[in-house]
Amino acid sequence: MSTESAAAAAASAILRNQVDLLDFIDWAGVECLNQNTAHPFPNALKQGYREDEGLNLESDADEQLLVYIPFTQVIKLHSIVIKGPEDEGPQTVKLYTNKEHMGFSNVSDFPPSDTLTLSPENLQGKPVVLKYVKFQNVRSLTIFIEDNQSGSDITKVQKIILHGSTVETTDMKGLKKIEDH
Amino acid sequence: MVLEATMICIDNSEWMRNGDNSPTRFQAQADAVNLICGAKTQSNPENTVGILTMAGKGVRVLVTPTSDLGKILACMHGLEIGGEMNLAAGIQVAQLALKHRQNKKQQQRIIVFAGGPVNYDKKVLEMIGKKLKKNSVALDVVNFGEEDESKTEKLEALVAAVNNSDSSHIVHVPAGSNALSDVLLSTPIFTGDGEGGSGFAAAAAAGGVSGFDFGVDPNLDPELALALRVSMEEERARQEAAAKKAADESTSQDATMSENVGTSASEAESKKDDLMDDENALLQQALAMSMDEPAATVTTRDTDMSDAADDDQDLALALQYSMQDGAKDQSEDMGKLLADQSFVSSILTSLPGVDPNDPSVKDLLASMQNQPESEQKKDDDKAPKEDDK
Repeated sequence: MSTESAAAAAASAILRNQVDLLDFIDWAGVECLNQNTAHPFPNALKQGYREDEGLNLESDADEQLLVYIPFTQVIKLHSIVIKGPEDEGPQTVKLYTNKEHMGFSNVSDFPPSDTLTLSPENLQGKPVVLKYVKFQNVRSLTIFIEDNQSGSDITKVQKIILHGSTVETTDMKGLKKIEDH
Repeated sequence: MVLEATMICIDNSEWMRNGDNSPTRFQAQADAVNLICGAKTQSNPENTVGILTMAGKGVRVLVTPTSDLGKILACMHGLEIGGEMNLAAGIQVAQLALKHRQNKKQQQRIIVFAGGPVNYDKKVLEMIGKKLKKNSVALDVVNFGEEDESKTEKLEALVAAVNNSDSSHIVHVPAGSNALSDVLLSTPIFTGDGEGGSGFAAAAAAGGVSGFDFGVDPNLDPELALALRVSMEEERARQEAAAKKAADESTSQDATMSENVGTSASEAESKKDDLMDDENALLQQALAMSMDEPAATVTTRDTDMSDAADDDQDLALALQYSMQDGAKDQSEDMGKLLADQSFVSSILTSLPGVDPNDPSVKDLLASMQNQPESEQKKDDDKAPKEDDK
């Protein structure tokens, strides 16, 4: 949860040196459990599709969704934007780092790196700042959407954006800056 | 060529003792399982298959998913039949086994053989199905054995709950019809696996129908294929020889009759037509093939082997080969030996099924000989004896 000022700061932080981590997603390894195959995860993650308001990632058998996103390099995750419809958009979202191939049965086995409760504002596109210290060394991210706003059987996600920075390049830039001084 | 981990749930409940699928439901199921394991491992070398039993004392995993076909087939032996099939527990254990598969990139699939009755509610099964779908596990159900309205309905509901864009299937196998394996070959359980699976299925089906001549791959088992081919030729030749024999016999009968005094010979010869058609023709041609000798001599050999070999194609083949080897070396000598009546009769008496006094045997000898009167007299001696029979 973030206050107004923190949110503003977060927004500016995004502008500063955080990038959209879309380019660093290892698409071959992305998995999504309980997705409706007619409405799969690329609708929410991929560049062209997620901008389209009509295309959603939808859940299938029940309202939970489990999205596993591996990255091509180690990243630090700063914030996340999850957009969805007002009533069927996600509400409780748990994030797990560096846990491969999770299933619905072991989401409760270990504590999440962060738990988000999305407000309708978040669903409009307001980024949620994460506990940065917990996301310093992320190779893969698992997003577990536990329920949705209205408690309906289907959860719809229109867009997921991850903001953060990569580890190596950030270090290089940091080194250069120090040298300048 | 989908990379897949499969768990096969076998039904070893009491209902599998039934013989409506031959030889027993359990055996038909085992054959089908073997076929499926072969198909899966062949379609992609990295595929793994595991097996568990659903009945007996409880759900028991026989082998965890492995790509070692030998291990899988070995664990199918020594299975005991008993108890009742526990479908829900079986599927859940299968799901757990798949969850802990070594290669997480494999798709998960469960194949259930449902022979016995299903005791669970439709609701419970639908819940299980949904859970499977949620974890992206595909399910194939083979409904055979016990036929029951509610069972079919429940299994259909289960598969419908799991089905995600046609990855799950249900196959109903009516009792008695064909072998379970044959029916399964044409279903999506095999063909739905993609090119590799359908390739295997096509090969197996072709093997069973018309691809390989005798249902046996010459590469896999050349000796068996050879034996089958030879016996097929014998059979074919026998058909021709049967017709030919009738013509031959009538001419040879006339010849011997003119030399014979007794009328009993003619009776015997007519009997011979009846009795010897099957026995003679079969072996006659086979031997003719192998020995390239005059038909006369060949008939004697038919006599030698007819009874013993009639029942046993393999024995016929063995005898044929052994005689073939001998024949080629010593064809002429053998011909002379066989022309010797005493030698032949000694052979005949030593053979278990052949009675030298049998009219058919005698007539063969007679026709074989076609010969000097001294031998004809022996036929005459024998001819009256047959009246005693």
